[in-house]
Amino acid sequence: MAAVAAGSRGRAALRLLRRRLIQAVPLMLGVVVINFCLIQLAPGSFLDLMTAENQVSDPATIELLRKTYGLDDPVWLQLVKYIWALMQFDFGFSYRQNMPVIQAISVHLPATLLLMVSSITLALAVGVAAGVVASVKVRTVWDSLVSIAAMFFFAAPSFWLGIMLIVLFSVKLGWLPVGGMATIGGVGGGVAGVLDILHHLILPTLALGLFYAAIYARVMRSSMLEVAQLDFVRTARAKGLSRNRVTVSHVLRNALLPVVTILGVQMGTVLAGSVVIESVFSWPGIGSLLFDSVSSRNYPVVLGIMVLGSLVVIAANIAVDLVYMWLDPRIEIR
Amino acid sequence: MARIEIPRFEFVARFARNRGALVGAVLIFLVALTAVLAPVLFPTDPLRIVGAPELWPGEDPDFPLGTDSLGRDILSMIVHGARATLLIGLCASAVATLIGVTIGAIAGYFGGWVDEIVMRTAELFQTIPNLIFVLTIVVILGSTLANIVIAIGIVSWTSIARMTRAEFLALRDREFVQACRAMGMGNGGIILGEILPNALPPVIVLSSLVVAGAILFESAVSFLGLGDPNVASWGRLVGDGRQLIRSSWYICAIPGVAIMVTVLCLNLIGDGLNDALNPKLRDR
Repeated sequence: MAAVAAGSRGRAALRLLRRRLIQAVPLMLGVVVINFCLIQLAPGSFLDLMTAENQVSDPATIELLRKTYGLDDPVWLQLVKYIWALMQFDFGFSYRQNMPVIQAISVHLPATLLLMVSSITLALAVGVAAGVVASVKVRTVWDSLVSIAAMFFFAAPSFWLGIMLIVLFSVKLGWLPVGGMATIGGVGGGVAGVLDILHHLILPTLALGLFYAAIYARVMRSSMLEVAQLDFVRTARAKGLSRNRVTVSHVLRNALLPVVTILGVQMGTVLAGSVVIESVFSWPGIGSLLFDSVSSRNYPVVLGIMVLGSLVVIAANIAVDLVYMWLDPRIEIR
Repeated sequence: MARIEIPRFEFVARFARNRGALVGAVLIFLVALTAVLAPVLFPTDPLRIVGAPELWPGEDPDFPLGTDSLGRDILSMIVHGARATLLIGLCASAVATLIGVTIGAIAGYFGGWVDEIVMRTAELFQTIPNLIFVLTIVVILGSTLANIVIAIGIVSWTSIARMTRAEFLALRDREFVQACRAMGMGNGGIILGEILPNALPPVIVLSSLVVAGAILFESAVSFLGLGDPNVASWGRLVGDGRQLIRSSWYICAIPGVAIMVTVLCLNLIGDGLNDALNPKLRDR
């Protein structure tokens, strides 16, 4: 019985995965087209800046560069060429880093992903726990405390919260580092190195994650209260299951579904938010690369960050869908 | 015009019963008032140097909130910054609402492939990391107030479009709409004159939350130094104070508190409006 259910579940998951991957193709195409058009609106090409920075004034050289970067082609042909190159994972060449765009981004992406994952984990853990406490102790001091904290963290700008955390924990108390991802000079590799990174990760994670924790706490609270009123919960209580047992195995699992949905919708926001937090904490993620590229009009890199960022969001969304499916008891029967 | 009326008095009474919403509304009113009266309250340029640098709040009675690293009055900068911050928030929310309502109304009313395209587009805009998109737009088109407002509007319309679409889907086959169709009324007339007025209340609630979101967006853009250089919004004040957190962290803290309080109040108002419009959802 259980094996049959698990088998049909696995097949359903594969079907979902296939459907979502097919849907991702036009989505990615849309992302590329929108951003490509946006960059066409820019006054002046990156070539102007590049030649100015490297003090190239020879018209023949500039002409050669124009040809190499394909800037003589009509816009639609540039777009087609770009998409064609993307399909072979060729994001172009970044003259500033003097390496392929994909390499420049992949140097920075892991740090951003680490910050995203740790913030989402914190947000889920704190948010769900707080929401459960508030709903179990509804209309008590605990409920009010959770509501008030959620209200504040939902309204506080993340970059400001980050600075205030630095003032308190780094400047005043001296417990945690002001910024960066590792101690300068290094503490060596292995366990010490990992602990060092974790030590640097605490404040940025709090600054980025608490906003989402506030959202999840609110959603979790109202979703728990809603599910608790449904018939199947009453049935479970009537069967003689204890209150705690019902809360954990019946209410909690179903109440998590809206939280998971919101998590999926917000993936792009989390990625973008991490760019701001990176700037506060000098975290070596794609944020610094983005600012450098935007201000130097290094558009191949800007486009690459958009495309890869969207890819991360799509992948995370598919993962969230699979988690949703795994959590949702209604899908088991099929 | 057919309207599903909520008695106005009852609505106000229900809103006022929510104490948080009431406090939020009063505070926002005060913030808006100071923003409007800024040139009267502090007639001199807020960016002018008026005192000794880095005076702590309360240190000098002339500067209740202290002075920044150059000796500019922080209170005056906060009051003038309220103008910029509120104005950008309201305008960006208006842009987002205009785009969202137009697109959502068309999708919900016509349905079919139009709806399909619109919903896919909304998904597209939710996939692109929003703030990165805003920063890119602002840098490419130039850091002017108008561009920042438009950029924030472009990334904030999706939730409003979804809400409007859902309302239109629920309303488009109601009797009063069918009656208008039977009378030979055109699609434009039905959308604008009949369905839209009934679909608006929940959309208005949502756009009050979009104002809060837009203020947070703007403050992040200004904080990163990409705001309009001629406008000292609250986000920029936080960014300016960042270098001095070791000696004078209050320079950073005060404008941040202003942002937080404003956003908090807008959220409270949104919650209150929501409760007042959907009394059944109250007392959950």
